[in-house]
Amino acid sequence: MERHVTVAIIEDHPVVTEGVASWIRSDPGQRVRLVQTARDLTGLRAAPRPPADVIILDLELSGELVTTQIPGLVAAGYRVVAFSGHSDPAIVMETLDNGAHAYVSKEEGREHLVEAVLAAGADRPYVTRSQARAMLADQRPARPALSEQERQALLLWFQGMSKASVGRRMSISENTVRQYISRARAKYAATGRTAPSKDALLVRAIEDGVIKPGDIMPYKSFARAAADRPSLGAPGR
Amino acid sequence: MTAVQPTAMMSGRYQRAFTIAVVFLVAGWHLAGAGGQLLHNRLAYGSFAFQAAMWLIMALAITAGSILALRGTPGWRPAWAVAVIALAASTAAAAASPAGQMLAVNWSWGSAGWTGVLVLLRRRFAELAWFLAAEALAILGVQVRDGLHRTDLAGFLAVVAWSTGAQVAVAAGVRALDAAAGQAAAAAQSEHAARERAATAQIIRAARHARWLALQESAVPLVAELAAGTADPGHAQVRVRSAIQAARLRRLLAEGDEVPGSLLHELHASADVAERRGVAVEIETAGPLPQVPGPARRVITDAAIAILTAARSQARITLAAVAGGIAVSFVADTDAVVRLPAVGEGVAIEQQQDGGMLWAEARWNGT
Repeated sequence: MERHVTVAIIEDHPVVTEGVASWIRSDPGQRVRLVQTARDLTGLRAAPRPPADVIILDLELSGELVTTQIPGLVAAGYRVVAFSGHSDPAIVMETLDNGAHAYVSKEEGREHLVEAVLAAGADRPYVTRSQARAMLADQRPARPALSEQERQALLLWFQGMSKASVGRRMSISENTVRQYISRARAKYAATGRTAPSKDALLVRAIEDGVIKPGDIMPYKSFARAAADRPSLGAPGR
Repeated sequence: MTAVQPTAMMSGRYQRAFTIAVVFLVAGWHLAGAGGQLLHNRLAYGSFAFQAAMWLIMALAITAGSILALRGTPGWRPAWAVAVIALAASTAAAAASPAGQMLAVNWSWGSAGWTGVLVLLRRRFAELAWFLAAEALAILGVQVRDGLHRTDLAGFLAVVAWSTGAQVAVAAGVRALDAAAGQAAAAAQSEHAARERAATAQIIRAARHARWLALQESAVPLVAELAAGTADPGHAQVRVRSAIQAARLRRLLAEGDEVPGSLLHELHASADVAERRGVAVEIETAGPLPQVPGPARRVITDAAIAILTAARSQARITLAAVAGGIAVSFVADTDAVVRLPAVGEGVAIEQQQDGGMLWAEARWNGT
């Protein structure tokens, strides 16, 4: 019943674009359709309406970090999945705070990129290990409060266990593990700067029963208060 | 987080030795010097029992003072309590001695002064000066009350010149030795640290050079084969080779933020061995990591080596900051049964075998 998710790849190295295209092609369900590739963002800015549901965005184009371009892309109606060689938690956090749906490091691409694109297309949270790492390492004052269980699930996932193994370790079902990790991600969507992509993710998380509106309201107001003060609004550095 | 500073520990050992020497000096003086004089002149006193009681009180004060001094620099209250008790007992004993024979029969002045030295040794020098001045005044006061006999006055001057002089000299000497010990320890420590830094830098440089050379032999040909099309990226073996070379390259790049002697550094070294065997090892950290003491690090790296040795083709090591400590985890593909100790040196280890994957976590809490 699920229709195709259309995707554009913005990547300055043709070899990487080719690799990503091959992962998309080799998806058994053929669930993602590649509609555009570009080496920079100029083509997307000119387009009157989004030609693709999701953008796979290399964060470094021609040697320049483009995390600050994400809010513009999100405002134009795109869902952004960052695909980057960087793994610095501060960059991961900045990317998510700017409204990217998911962060996939280049090492994680084969395993996670197609799944992350599908999740983004459905506004569902997707947490890679590099994202879990950044959430665990987050020291910002405005970070959301994670429950003990959410933190433990994130830690075991970051450590490299499969979600099924995390479930056995924590004596919960694999589904509950997903729930905890998704809830942690949703809490992050409720903090920092506002973005349509984050709102969409939150609405979907509430519809899916991942999180209750009451779970995020206090954080949201806290985050708004923090966003009013620019020093706390900008993550990391 | 560093448990002990070696410099402070080293000079602390010297200081303790000096304190023990002073304790022996004071105790020896009170037992042999003062005690001998007291027994020798036992018939000269109006009440020998009273003199003996004062001697005993001072012996107790010296014992208390020794315990205080051996525990470190005493606080002003206990130090001055001991000093004042000794001074009071000494003055009472002197006041009860026959007038005119002070120099011959008074045993107590020296002991009181030495007790002051014992407890005030490492406090401000002015405190000892005040104490010795108070003692001199007390002696003079006793003599004025007795009518200032000429012989006693000579004794008073002798006490001030000889006894007090010796006490000041010992106190000053110990302070000078303390300072010298501190300097010596600091010098030895900084020399040791400099040598260690140089050696570590040398080791890191050599290891990095060796790895760079190894990359020339392993990564460069692989890239050449891929470029020439002789190696097929679709082939499983080529993928494993690529993964290993990628891991090595990544580590070479990550080495900029390594701290010599840290847990991370040692885990990298352990991973090196496994990589040479063809296991692709990933190492990642999350959060600001605490310093882990040496013995605990050894338990963790031992676990790493055991697991990496058993790993078939891949392993992931993560270091994450957790409340009050660090969680180091290992995930490796292995069917082998790896037996790790459950606990050691403050590190608790848990493990879980799940199909062909082994997970283990070593947690150290910094308490």
